[in-house]
Amino acid sequence: MEGADGSKHFGGDLPSQEQSPSLLTIILDTNPAAWALLHPTLTLSSAIADILVFINAHLACNFTNQIAIIASHCDKAQWLYPTSAAQKPPGHKHGRVRTTQHETEDEDDDDVQPASNKRAKLNGIPKTDHGLPSSMSESESKKYRPFRMIEEEFIKNLQSLISGTSPETVQQKTSTMVAGALTLALSYINRRSQEYQESITGVSSNLADQAVAAGSDPHADTASVLQSRILVITLSPSTDLAHQYIPMMNAIFACQRLNIPIDVLQLPLPPDLKQPGANNVSDASTKSSQSSTVFLQQASDATHGIFIAARLEPTTDSKSSSRQTGSNAGDGDATSLARYSMLTYLLTSLLPTPTSRLHLITPTRVDVDFRAACFCHRNVISTGFVCSICLSIFCDQSLEILSQEGCITCGTKLSVRAEGVGGWGGGKRPIVVAPKKKKKKKGLGSAVGTPRPGTPA
Amino acid sequence: MSRRRVDARDGADNDAAGDREDDARGQETNFEVTRTWDDLEEVDGNLAVTAISEAEKRRRLLKDTTPLQRGIIRHLILLLDMSDAMGEKDLRPTRFQVTLNFTIAFIREYFEQNPISQLGIIAMRNGVAEPISDMSGNPTEHIKAVSRQKAAEPHGQPSLENALDLARAALFHAPSHGTREILLVMGALHSVDPGDVHRTIDALVADKIHASVIGLAAQVAICHELVSKTNNGDTSGYNIIMHEGHLRELMMAVTTPPATLEQAKSASSLLMMGFPSRTVDTQPSLCACHSRPSREGYLCSRCGTKVCGLPSECPACSLTLILSTHLARSYHHLFPLVNWVEVPWSSANRSSECFACQRLFPEVPSREQWHDKDSHETSSSRYECTTCHSHFCIECDLFAHEVVHNCPGCQSGLATAGLMGEVEMEDGHLNGYDGNAMGVES
Repeated sequence: MEGADGSKHFGGDLPSQEQSPSLLTIILDTNPAAWALLHPTLTLSSAIADILVFINAHLACNFTNQIAIIASHCDKAQWLYPTSAAQKPPGHKHGRVRTTQHETEDEDDDDVQPASNKRAKLNGIPKTDHGLPSSMSESESKKYRPFRMIEEEFIKNLQSLISGTSPETVQQKTSTMVAGALTLALSYINRRSQEYQESITGVSSNLADQAVAAGSDPHADTASVLQSRILVITLSPSTDLAHQYIPMMNAIFACQRLNIPIDVLQLPLPPDLKQPGANNVSDASTKSSQSSTVFLQQASDATHGIFIAARLEPTTDSKSSSRQTGSNAGDGDATSLARYSMLTYLLTSLLPTPTSRLHLITPTRVDVDFRAACFCHRNVISTGFVCSICLSIFCDQSLEILSQEGCITCGTKLSVRAEGVGGWGGGKRPIVVAPKKKKKKKGLGSAVGTPRPGTPA
Repeated sequence: MSRRRVDARDGADNDAAGDREDDARGQETNFEVTRTWDDLEEVDGNLAVTAISEAEKRRRLLKDTTPLQRGIIRHLILLLDMSDAMGEKDLRPTRFQVTLNFTIAFIREYFEQNPISQLGIIAMRNGVAEPISDMSGNPTEHIKAVSRQKAAEPHGQPSLENALDLARAALFHAPSHGTREILLVMGALHSVDPGDVHRTIDALVADKIHASVIGLAAQVAICHELVSKTNNGDTSGYNIIMHEGHLRELMMAVTTPPATLEQAKSASSLLMMGFPSRTVDTQPSLCACHSRPSREGYLCSRCGTKVCGLPSECPACSLTLILSTHLARSYHHLFPLVNWVEVPWSSANRSSECFACQRLFPEVPSREQWHDKDSHETSSSRYECTTCHSHFCIECDLFAHEVVHNCPGCQSGLATAGLMGEVEMEDGHLNGYDGNAMGVES
């Protein structure tokens, strides 16, 4: 008779209907050189506008969702939201809670006006302590306050970051500090997860212990663990990341261990526009995707995240020269098309939380290239030699040098397994049993002739 | 006062008993005396627990971080005692259950820290040695086998000689460029052997196998001899647990690759390995390792055979197949992150929040409050990286050293990065991975 009065609904038999909060960390590649290259297609300001819409969508999904934004700049990694104390102006002693009096920003509809206008107005309006500035239009005061606060801080910090970069640094450092940004993101996730765990269960345990507990008990209630994920929006060319290999790998393994998916949205850099005759747009885009960040591909694959190599322009048959000399209207179309496609990628593929993704088919690359690059020539190899001491990988071109001078990295003298089937498992040579000497009738001395092949027990 | 370590001798008769007694007596003074009531502090009538918990966490962190040469390719045999003594209830619910639970955690952690290594498990029960799982590099097999043992009861007497012989046989095929190790978890205080256990120990020494022992009850002289002979007189590998947490700590400490000793240096060699890529087909085909149909797999670089999981050995041509990420997993052992130092109050006002997670630090109090009544300086809860001089909280300290192995400050551009990711200060002073990257412990 249990089902008759519907009491089952309140008995706790049903799984919890609440969704646990989700923390989204966005790592934005703000390398100015790369954005300048992308400028004809997609401006930084329109990309920021898209990202803000995406952030608002994420916050709207669940009241308790949280967000964090980190800029991965050419020479440093810096917090954009929440603002760190180092970036706050000195007047902000009780800094974190912003009140409505500190309104400094104009609000426009995102779809109509690009965000560059917003930034221009940021400089113009003085901060007032009392009441709203008079020049503000009605729509800003109606904007949902959490959205507005995040926008403010984000844009303000981003602007100070970019204006604080000198041209020399942009010229010197062409890469971006993704490893540092990942490490900052991980520390923040660790802190937030701990705080959440403490607020729910009253017991604080660090993230690694939570991950172990969740892993060993598959039926555990996931509502008690903060679901976090990292989204990396990148556009710098990949070759410059090689010197960050070890720190990036460490960060990737940490994410793997803690079940934090790393999603990557890669914006393609356009082909070199200096050559006027560059004809095949689709050809160039495949080329740029081949040189795409192998580390980030491996990262999203290892952590079960999503990797999207975005295509911002439609592949048309028209030659790119016509694009160059195209009318303003044509360029405007291409720009807004590119902008909307980025927003589409964000909202459709990258919005769901990790647990929701179990029920969806996620777009991702399957043919991830896992082959290693040798340390001596940076060739990509499929078979190589590994030093057993320092684990550096060498190709067979270096075999001569290695056998003479030892390992290039650590200098140890190495013996190369000559039978060609080196490594453990292979190269089992049968143990030579010395022929039994005819026993001279000496009696006790026969022990010498018996070999000890050490047959396994 | 709590004295936890008690010496006991086993009953084996031996001429060298007199020497061993002197040895053992020399270790009697190694007690840890904890007066927990003295450590509590009172602040405004409340007990201050944070200082103690922080000190506890710091203690866990401060281990030696000189970059030693370590044995990365390991072959470890885990010997578990399943005799009557393991049915004791001094660890809840029984020693046996606790050991099995920790063994499962150990297996996971071992393969995470050493992805190209192999593990085998042997049990001692009823006077014989039973193999639980064979030497392999696949953690799920081991975990399944150990979980099956949970239903069984510990019974009979342990036989050290049989177990060591079986372990020696299993390690026979391990190649010389890898380490050969035995970890023995011993709960009993005796051993019943068919022959001379000392001969077995000598054979282990001849085969260059290193043994370490975790005792659950008391120190046993034969274990002491085992550890000392196989490690050239170094008995730091023999530990007796004080409580359950200590057992877990000791087991997890074994997952760190051991440092290479001087004379083993000649065993280095160049190994040929394959780095396959994943392929996905439209039609399923059988994998060569389990004969199970699957659409995706990895093709061996040399012979093209499909295997389903890495790291593994190609069943056809015996080439080791791994991903470069498996090798990368061990790099943090070779380039460990340097310990961070505690910041005194005098330089604490440089930062008000943690650099990495933005957690607020306690404010700097006035100068009188810098020292407490015993004139120890109170903790400022700030920990500084010696290279980038940024301040972190204790949670980020633990997190960075145990999970991530990167310093957030150094990676965020406050110091430039070298070729292999080792970090240099702007003026060229090499940090963190200091001095010679490959120092060998002699």
